[in-house]
Amino acid sequence: MALLETKGLSKSFGGVQALQDVDVHIEEGSIHGLIGPNGSGKSTFFNVISGVYRPDSGSSVLFDNHEISQLPPHKITELGISRTFQLLRLFLEMTVLENVMVGYHCHTPYGFLSPILQGSKVREADEKIQDEMIEMLQFLGLASYANLPAGELSGGQRRLLSLGRAIAMKPKLLLLDEPGAGLSPVNVDHLMHTILSLKEKYKLTVVVVEHILKVVMNTCERITVLDHGQKIAEGSPEEVKNDHAVIEAYLGREMADEDIRQVIRA
Amino acid sequence: MIGFFTGVEAFFTGLSRIHRLLPWILAYLLLLPLPFLLKFGISEYYVDLANRACLFILLSVGLNIVKGFCGQVTVGHIGLYAIGAVTSALLAINYQLPFWVSAPIAILITGLAGIIVGLPSVRLEGAYLALATLGLGESVRIMIAVTPAFGSSTGIMMIPEPKIGEFIFNSFESYYYLVMTCAIIGIYLSFAILRSSTGRAFQAIREDAIAASVAGINVPFYKLLAFVISALYAGLAGALFAHMPPGYLHHNNFTIIEMVTLLLMVVLGGIGNIWGGVIGAIVVTVIYDQTKDYYFYQPLIFGIIMVVMVVFMPHGIGGVVKQAMIKRKFIENQEESRGSA
Repeated sequence: MALLETKGLSKSFGGVQALQDVDVHIEEGSIHGLIGPNGSGKSTFFNVISGVYRPDSGSSVLFDNHEISQLPPHKITELGISRTFQLLRLFLEMTVLENVMVGYHCHTPYGFLSPILQGSKVREADEKIQDEMIEMLQFLGLASYANLPAGELSGGQRRLLSLGRAIAMKPKLLLLDEPGAGLSPVNVDHLMHTILSLKEKYKLTVVVVEHILKVVMNTCERITVLDHGQKIAEGSPEEVKNDHAVIEAYLGREMADEDIRQVIRA
Repeated sequence: MIGFFTGVEAFFTGLSRIHRLLPWILAYLLLLPLPFLLKFGISEYYVDLANRACLFILLSVGLNIVKGFCGQVTVGHIGLYAIGAVTSALLAINYQLPFWVSAPIAILITGLAGIIVGLPSVRLEGAYLALATLGLGESVRIMIAVTPAFGSSTGIMMIPEPKIGEFIFNSFESYYYLVMTCAIIGIYLSFAILRSSTGRAFQAIREDAIAASVAGINVPFYKLLAFVISALYAGLAGALFAHMPPGYLHHNNFTIIEMVTLLLMVVLGGIGNIWGGVIGAIVVTVIYDQTKDYYFYQPLIFGIIMVVMVVFMPHGIGGVVKQAMIKRKFIENQEESRGSA
């Protein structure tokens, strides 16, 4: 069953067509890769799905049988889509624990006025949320930093925290925007391992944008390739690897097939 | 020094474990004898100063919610204060309403005005928002200055004092208990709100509005909520100010200079730090009072302090203390875990 299905998804900024009639079909429980050269519309795709941008009219995004293309971001999160950002966008002056607790926001069991009227109820609920979040931070290896401002973490820890914040939203669908950017190859492997175990633990469907092709080829079950805002290929890693349109998009027309295989293998 | 603060914090956390209101009741009891100490220790004038400090605490705690926690730069707060003051004064004079009725109505009307001041924040950010709210705040003052019904240039006189039965709050000491109670309740409520998920939502919006919206926070709603809550504080402070003896209001109390003073309180004390706002309010009220003889230079002095603070201590006094406390705790925790391992 498809968890997320886009039909004719388009987005233009003035004269620039960032996405054009993109049809993507993401199976529940799968791990789906989204690749393409710089400027091909991967991030725009994420921004449109998560509601940061509103798609052009005529676009349709079906998530879990809800039409979400015209909803504001917080409604989309409530339905069960969460995402990370390429530039992380952590709340740097808040503590690590507060960062993940913000992620939990839409599951808060009390209303915005209860702090005034029912102080003890709010306190109990918050303590319960804290315990749950600390447990998750332990899983990510960040528990000992829980009360430090997020701005004092290292780059790798920040990536883990942004992942933790997304998980705290209890999503069904997790969109990861270049989770491995700026990490060393060893750390990228480690991170992908963490992502896979999170996927198992929380029963997630994952869409991952990544430039490191080796990672995508090894972990994803299906891959969609975008170029200039259009979908040029979709299929299993093997199919995509041998697709002529993909090779052209990445390396241009001149290179011979054999060279390209070597590049990808390397 | 930092050890002292951590000790105080540990003591109060211990008390709040017994009952969450216990530290507040203790603080309240400690503040009860203050007017008598001031009156017999220095002079009665300082009781009035303490009253004004309490009003400014309410204002700066309210401003801290919208500016410090939610990150919305507003310069219209003083206009809301004016709306609260004038509304309550006019209701009491023209309709003979007692303070206990006129003040809540004034607070509600100020809350509604807070929505209007907050509406530009949905679309504007930073300096542009500051300009929009500056316009709104100043237009309130000018409105008061040119409308005879609102006092115009003579001001509103003979505003009745609050009273319970036969007891009238007409002296500095009796009024102190009214404003101090309101200030303590105000600080408590701001803690309650800001420690809940609402407060975390405000801070998330300050740090990164896009990430906040993706984290499931209804950003326009929470921005407006921050403006409304801060407006309720300003309305309460305004109503208390209007009825404070000698019961006189003038539009000169609501100028942009007052707004700068208010901003200085929040910046000096610590943006996004509740105790910082309280400390800032007390420190600036005292400085403001003690430099009265040189009032031509006051804006200059305050401007310089503000620039120096923003450059060298962007988190204010409260921020520096908090930072040091967090570091100390982290180091202690590390040592503990090393000791056990």
